[in-house]
Amino acid sequence: MHHEKVKHDFEPKIIAFVCTWCTYAGADLAGTSRMQYPDNVRVLKFPCTGRIDPVFILRAFQKGADGVLVSGCHPGDCHYMAGNFHARRRFAAFRALLGFVGVDLERLQFSWVSAAEGGKWVEVVTELTEKVRAMGPMQEFKALELEEQWSAVLGTPELKEAYEQIA
Amino acid sequence: MTTEKAHNSFAGIDQTYYQAVTEAIRLAAVKLLEAGSVTAVIGYLPGRRKGTASPAVVSDPAQAAHLIFSPACVNNLSLYLTKAKKGILKKGRVAIVAKGCDLRALAGLMGESQIKRDELVIIGVACAGVYAPGSDHTPPLIEANIARKCRECTVHLPAGTDLVAGTLPPLPEFTPLEAMDLSRLEAMTPAERWAFWKEQFSRCIRCLACRQVCPLCYCEQCLCDKNRPQAVESSPRPAGNTAWHIVRAMHLAGRCGGCAECERVCPMDIPLNLLNRRMAQELKELYNFEAGMLPQEKGPLTQYKDDDDQSFIK
Repeated sequence: MHHEKVKHDFEPKIIAFVCTWCTYAGADLAGTSRMQYPDNVRVLKFPCTGRIDPVFILRAFQKGADGVLVSGCHPGDCHYMAGNFHARRRFAAFRALLGFVGVDLERLQFSWVSAAEGGKWVEVVTELTEKVRAMGPMQEFKALELEEQWSAVLGTPELKEAYEQIA
Repeated sequence: MTTEKAHNSFAGIDQTYYQAVTEAIRLAAVKLLEAGSVTAVIGYLPGRRKGTASPAVVSDPAQAAHLIFSPACVNNLSLYLTKAKKGILKKGRVAIVAKGCDLRALAGLMGESQIKRDELVIIGVACAGVYAPGSDHTPPLIEANIARKCRECTVHLPAGTDLVAGTLPPLPEFTPLEAMDLSRLEAMTPAERWAFWKEQFSRCIRCLACRQVCPLCYCEQCLCDKNRPQAVESSPRPAGNTAWHIVRAMHLAGRCGGCAECERVCPMDIPLNLLNRRMAQELKELYNFEAGMLPQEKGPLTQYKDDDDQSFIK
């Protein structure tokens, strides 16, 4: 069964932070069931969504991700009892912060995908990929990364004037 | 970004109020030190220049008679009780002069088991406000030189202190500049907000004064100083600056009491308290939590409820 791959002008980079107990197993199920989903997604496995620090998301964007997916166990199903409950609050706050700083929140997706939901994984990943593809590359953080902008510029007229006044 | 509009009706805060507060602090400090019930009093002494004040740890009753309170007493003294500043104080009970906003930081530190209430004597100040950084520091305190945080202060009268120095003078309604800035930013598109913060953060020189002065940034090793693996780039470039300010705001979310010391010490005038305020507002809306009103062991991000909002999760 060969799948015809459609050529696109822009292939977004999607980073998925997943918990090993639910979503990773769910993605695995999607694979063993031979379901097709975009290969734009790079899966990073964590012990629990509670282990996923907001800094990881930030770093993913800085290093060139166009979209980020964070996915773990449904509430009440956490292997460590409450990791995803804590994550839920933390990401609600972090999402608000990123929104306030001006990041387009459409690029950041959170989901609950259990080990039995291979189909949901495919759905979530496909939807995010297509959404981000339509939005185009994430420019904001990449532009920052490339920028060499120093707070103080040497040799400005103001500095020269101040220097001459000392002498 | 501030547009100062002076209210003509408000003639400024009366000097007698500051004298009364000063007297009350001196009286209490001398009494506590002479009785030996505290080893030191953390308060404000007059600065070298006229009209200034500087934080001081006073252990001699004679020196305690020089303690003051004026609108120049801007510092949040609870900073000196944290483990980041350990070694400043000798062991034993200490007394501390606290404005309403400082008290919120103290409550935060107590909730996080950094200090114990019974090791403290808190001399609360019924605070009318302090000077804005960089403003005209000549009395009286008027609309033109009051700090932005004081315009919208909800904690003029500190609660739960051992004593309260002074009585609050009548205060006018100030223009809420911070709330106005916040709603202005909220009304922008994400791209406009990004442009705004990009400009602000690009000025950052990463002196980390905001961290050093924050009473709640007491970690002995800051995540942002680690380099293996490195979470946040340490050089003062736009990428690292943005990351630093996002991480700082995130780590203070649900903990910051809004003393705005970070904004005051910022040499590049980055409006850091807007980030803090925005996070506080969000956590109030989501979890009905206000930091530093009472010493609470669990903050909004270290506890959970089964039915927390998850409308943003698929």
